[in-house]
Amino acid sequence: MSDLSENILPAAPKRTLGQRFTWLVDHFKREWQIYVMLLPVIIWFVVFLYKPMYGLQVAFKDYSIFRGVAGSPWIGFEHFQTLIYSDQFGRALKNTFMISMLSLCFGFPVPIFLALMFNEITHHVFKRTAQTIVYLPHFISTVIIAGIVITAFSPSAGIVNMVLGWFGMEPIYFLIKPEWFRPIFIGSGIWQEAGFSSIVFLAAIAGVNPSLYESAVIDGASRWQMMWKITLPSILPTIIIMLIIRIGNLLEVGFELIILLYQPATFATADVINTFIYRQGIQGAQYDLAAAAGLFNAVIAFILVMTANTIARRYSNTSLW
Amino acid sequence: MSGVNLSGIVKAYGAVQVVHGIDLNVAEKEFVVLVGPSGCGKSTTLRMIAGLEEISGGEASIHGKVVNRIAPKDRDVAMVFQNYALYPHLNVADNMAFGLRIRKMPKVEIKNQISEVAEILELTEYLHRKPAELSGGQRQRVAMGRAIVRHPKVFLFDEPLSNLDAKLRTQMRAEIRRLHNRLGVTSIYVTHDQVEAMTLADRIVVMNDGNIEQVGTPMELFMNPANTFVAGFLGSPPMNQLNGVLNENGAEINGVHIKLNVEIGDNAGRNVVVGIRPEDVTLQAGADTSVLPIDLDLVEPLGSEALLHAQRDGTNLVFKADTNGSIDHLSGVKEVHVPAGRVKIFDSESGQAINL
Repeated sequence: MSDLSENILPAAPKRTLGQRFTWLVDHFKREWQIYVMLLPVIIWFVVFLYKPMYGLQVAFKDYSIFRGVAGSPWIGFEHFQTLIYSDQFGRALKNTFMISMLSLCFGFPVPIFLALMFNEITHHVFKRTAQTIVYLPHFISTVIIAGIVITAFSPSAGIVNMVLGWFGMEPIYFLIKPEWFRPIFIGSGIWQEAGFSSIVFLAAIAGVNPSLYESAVIDGASRWQMMWKITLPSILPTIIIMLIIRIGNLLEVGFELIILLYQPATFATADVINTFIYRQGIQGAQYDLAAAAGLFNAVIAFILVMTANTIARRYSNTSLW
Repeated sequence: MSGVNLSGIVKAYGAVQVVHGIDLNVAEKEFVVLVGPSGCGKSTTLRMIAGLEEISGGEASIHGKVVNRIAPKDRDVAMVFQNYALYPHLNVADNMAFGLRIRKMPKVEIKNQISEVAEILELTEYLHRKPAELSGGQRQRVAMGRAIVRHPKVFLFDEPLSNLDAKLRTQMRAEIRRLHNRLGVTSIYVTHDQVEAMTLADRIVVMNDGNIEQVGTPMELFMNPANTFVAGFLGSPPMNQLNGVLNENGAEINGVHIKLNVEIGDNAGRNVVVGIRPEDVTLQAGADTSVLPIDLDLVEPLGSEALLHAQRDGTNLVFKADTNGSIDHLSGVKEVHVPAGRVKIFDSESGQAINL
C-alpha cells in the first residue's frame, strides 16, 4: 500500500481481547452453517494429514514397535545419514527425479494440447466420442492398467511386439529392460491421465470471452492464430496454477503402477523413493528409515512448490498464494 | 452502389426465423442506428453484415460487392463489441496492432498508425497498459482505436456504450459522433437506447420482432411515427396513446372531445389510437386546444420541468410541465390542454399512422 493511501485511510480500530471474543461468538452464531459444511474437510485433514505427522518423529528415533513412538530413543539425523550414504536411496532419488521430470516435460503439455484440439472440433458427436475415449482410462484401476501394459508389451502375445514383427524386427522383452521402463511408465501414465486432466483446461477455454474470437475473425485471424494468440494466452493462468500444483506433486510418482510393473531387473531405472520406502518400511519393517525417506521426500516437495510459486508470482502475476 | 445494402435479408435458426427479410440502404459516410427492444433482431442483422452470422436468405452488399459468401476479414469492416473484446493479455498498443499484424502490415507502419490513432483518442499515455488497468471509458476508446487503425470501409458498433455508467455514456456518445464527423466512415450502430439513437444517427432504423418498423431521420421519426410501436419507442417519456373514435370535428376519447386540425371526411366513426406527446400539452388553454381531464397521481420534479403521472380510463399517462422553480402549482392539476396540430392518430387495428 502506498504512503499516500496509508495516510488517507483511517487506521482500523484495535479490538480488545474481549471484543474479539464477542465478535467471534457473534460471527459463529451468524455463519454457523458455513462452519458445519467445512467440518468434514477439517476432520479429514486432521485425521489423515495432521495426526500422522505425530508419527514423523520416528524418522529421528531408533523406533521399535514394542517401545512405541514415544518410548523409542532419539538418535538425531542418523537415519538421514544412512539414507545419504545408501546406494539404493541415491538410486531411488535419481530415478524419482528422472521419472518426475520426464513426466512433467512430456506429460504436462499433453492435456493442454488435447484441450486445445477438443476445442477445435466442431462436430458434436465426434467430439463427445473422442472425449469419452480419452477420459475412459482414468476410471480404470491401476492394477488393470498394469495388466494391459504387461499384456501389450509381452514378447510372445503383445500387440507391440506383433507390430514390430510385421516389420521383421525381433521381439523385445520390454519390461525387463531398464532402458525401456521409463518410456513405458511415462507413456502409460499419459495414456491414463491426459484425457481426464484436459478437463480443467477445457473448462478454462470455455471461460474465454467468445467476443475475442469474433473480433479476431473480423481481424482476419486463422483458427491456428486464434489458438496461439487468444486461447493459449487466455488459459495461461490456469496452466501456471496447474504447473505449480504438478511441481508440488513432482516427487509423488504413481508408485502403485511402478510396484506393479517393476522387477529387480529394472530397479536401476524404476526404483523410486516411494517404492524404496515401501520395501524398507513395509517389507523390511524399518519404519524409522522409511519415515526419514518419506520426510526427505516431503521437504524436497515443499521446497519445489515454494520455488515454483515464487517464480510464477514474479514472472506471471499468477500464483497459488 | 456504395455504402451497405441489405436486400430481403433473412436469418433463421432451423425453423425459427428471427429476421424476416429486411431491406435497408445505408449511404456512404452515413451514420445509421438500428434501434429496438431486446430480441428484435438488430444485433443479428449487424452480425450478418459483419459475417459473424450466416445469411439465411437475401443479399447483403458492402460498397457494391455482394458479401454473403465472403469471409468477415475480406468484408473490410471493423466491429466494436459491447464488452469491448479486448485481449486481456495484450497491452493497449498490442491490442490495437493485433489486426494489422495478422494482415502482415510492416512494423513501422503499424507503429505510425497506432501513434496517430492513440493521439486522436487520447490514449498515448496508456499504450503500455493492459485492459484490466483501464477504466470503462478508456477500454471503450481502445476498442474503437482497434477498429479505426484498420481504416475499414464500414464501422459496426454493437451496443458499445451499454457497459458504461450514464455520465460516461453521454460523454462517449459525443466522442463517437465527433469521430464519425472527422473520419467520415459509413457506420452502423446497434442500440436499445432510444436517446443514443436520437443523438447519434443521421438516420434511425426502428426494428421490432425481426422487421423494420420505420426508417428516417431522428426528427422525422419523432414527429411523424409510422405506427404506434415507433410512437411508443421513441421519445422519453414515450407518446401517450388513448383509444378513441373519429367524428366530424376530431376524435372522441370516452366522452372527451379532442380537436384535430385535419379533414376527417369519410373516416368518421373509425376506431383510432390518439397519440399525444408528453411535451406537447400545456396547462393553460390556448388557441385551438382541447381539454383532457386527468387523475394526477404523481409529480416527478426533474429541475426545469416535471413529469406528471396520471390516469385516464385505466391508461397510464405521462405529461411534461414547466416547473418555473417550483412544483407546488402542479400538484392540483386536473386537466391538460392538447393543441390540435400536435395530435397523432393511428388505426386502432393495424396501429399504422393515419395521415388525413
